[in-house]
Amino acid sequence: MPAYFNFAIKRLWQFVLVVFIGINIAYVITHVTPIDPVEQSISAVTSFGNTSPEAIADMRRSLQELYGLKGDWIEQYISFWRRILQADFGPSLSAFPAPVTSLIARALPWTFGLLAFTTLVSWSVGNLLGALAGYYRNNRSLKFFGVLAMALHPVPYYIVALSLMIVFGFIWPVLPITGGSAMDVQQGWNWQFVASVFHHSVLPALSLIMIGIGSWFLGMRSLVSNIITEDYVVYAEIGGVAQSRMMGSYIIRNALAPQVTGLAMSLGGIFNGAVITEKIFGYPGLGTLLVDGVYAGDYGLVLGVTSIAIIGVSLSVLVIDLIYPLIDPRVQVAS
Amino acid sequence: MTTQPILRVDHLKAHFRSSYFGVYREVPAVDDISFDVAPNEIFGLAGESSSGKTTLMKTIAGLITPPLELIGGKAQFSFMPPETNLYGADPAQLARIRWSKLSYIMQGSMNVLNPLRQIRSIFRDFAAVHIGGSNSDFETKTVNHLSRLRLDPSVLDAYPHELSGGMRQRVTIALATICRPDFIIADEPTTALDVIVQKEVLGMIRSIQREMGSSVLFVTHDMGVHAALTDKLGIMYAGCLVEAGRTADIFNAPQHPYTRHLIHSLPRIGDTVQRTGLTGTPPNLANPPSGCRFHPRCPLASDICRTERPMMRQIATEHRVACHAVAGDDA
Repeated sequence: MPAYFNFAIKRLWQFVLVVFIGINIAYVITHVTPIDPVEQSISAVTSFGNTSPEAIADMRRSLQELYGLKGDWIEQYISFWRRILQADFGPSLSAFPAPVTSLIARALPWTFGLLAFTTLVSWSVGNLLGALAGYYRNNRSLKFFGVLAMALHPVPYYIVALSLMIVFGFIWPVLPITGGSAMDVQQGWNWQFVASVFHHSVLPALSLIMIGIGSWFLGMRSLVSNIITEDYVVYAEIGGVAQSRMMGSYIIRNALAPQVTGLAMSLGGIFNGAVITEKIFGYPGLGTLLVDGVYAGDYGLVLGVTSIAIIGVSLSVLVIDLIYPLIDPRVQVAS
Repeated sequence: MTTQPILRVDHLKAHFRSSYFGVYREVPAVDDISFDVAPNEIFGLAGESSSGKTTLMKTIAGLITPPLELIGGKAQFSFMPPETNLYGADPAQLARIRWSKLSYIMQGSMNVLNPLRQIRSIFRDFAAVHIGGSNSDFETKTVNHLSRLRLDPSVLDAYPHELSGGMRQRVTIALATICRPDFIIADEPTTALDVIVQKEVLGMIRSIQREMGSSVLFVTHDMGVHAALTDKLGIMYAGCLVEAGRTADIFNAPQHPYTRHLIHSLPRIGDTVQRTGLTGTPPNLANPPSGCRFHPRCPLASDICRTERPMMRQIATEHRVACHAVAGDDA
């Protein structure tokens, strides 16, 4: 096991490096925007009437400190990292004075709940159906599903989302088309709120699953149709290995490795938010937060969301790398 | 020989049929082949590449998938109900005989073991249902059987990629023989191995076959292997069986001109005569020559060979040949 331990340490170090570089890039990009948050705040305050120049100078100083813009760029950079390590992204500009971290903490459960659910559902259903369709190539309903997936797959996501909205929101208005829950329901762990969240998530979830399932289905089907021509599958077939065992341990098991990697990548991508979904359905998640932040020039917020996304993606890739020897015993750690 | 043959192949025909864009192609890869395999006998099939050896195997084993189609004839195993081919047999019936009566050692045995499964699980997948008993009984049986093939019980914990080529081949032979089947189909089981391992593996097949009294249908293009291993031999050329008989008879007195060339091309210790190859190439089976398929390359070809296809005729005890030019052409 020392080889594996060394590998894990090396991989962990890589993870730290990737996150560090990623956040630096995000820092640079957000700081070269032409929007000066301090001047914007001041102009927002002063537009209501006369303020004395001394007061404005005071305000500028304290705002600069809040936004981490005090001193030259080296000092700014060091204080940025000091605050990041304490998980502090400063106050949000667009929702001043709420801190960025609390905005993210409020949006994250929405996005995570929606996307984790839809990703897992479309991954498992898509792969299962894809494997069955690849193995039972003459089954009619699976063939029909294949045609459906093939037809639906290239349709741009927003078309699907808008069509669902039109069908279930206007033609047959049975589902809410916007928001994460009903406005008049108290948020918390009560039945009414949970039901409302569920009700509101049907359309966004459905649209994501409809689009997501197709690529998993098609990918798995072609993987499986390759695998069933492999010698070990043909041999197991003429050897009379039980059908369920064939399907599970011979076919799906061998096709799964690339799909598991794909799943990890999309689970990591959850922290990006689903920008288009959340915008179309007015869903209060990370994607909405990110887009609003960009529009408002709220770089603290953008940096916060981006950092979460960077950490999310790198972390899930790290995890998949660490457990890969379990998925495929042929993957050996170089000693 | 009065014993009932375990496998009777009777005028078996299987063709590849395909039709793309209106172009119809029919390749007679197995054309009117008949032979018997007796119990406790190793029957060898020889022939060059693309002579239809593997297709014949597949047809006998019932592995007929498009574009291959069964045109006629039958391959009857004695443990099957009369008048049934494996192809199209009742799946429950097939499940009963597979591995317990009939097993396979395949071409490219390197890849027949599931790369993501331990050898122990593979044995269980194939054989547990036929052997029955508790898990520990099965384990003991497996270990005993492996030791017969000089395999350490530790291979059960290994994944296929952790074994060497020779070991993997021995594991497949162990897997194919653990249920003590009556009949084993072996398709080029030693082709990918170097000669040292080949010798060892052939010896194992031989000894385990002798011990269990199974019959083996053994396919290889390697005449040396046939000489060393098989009891009977069938020579295939371009989808047809051209000669069949006891291996010793065929090596000592080959009758068909193709077989004669095949045997004479083998190197012999101490013989320094230059070997001559046959002129020409094997025919394209999509468009086989008329009459005898060997006539364009045959030194003895006469007019009848170009028009009429020779039938298999008995020329001596258990020695049949399909050639117009062979003596005794009075039928």
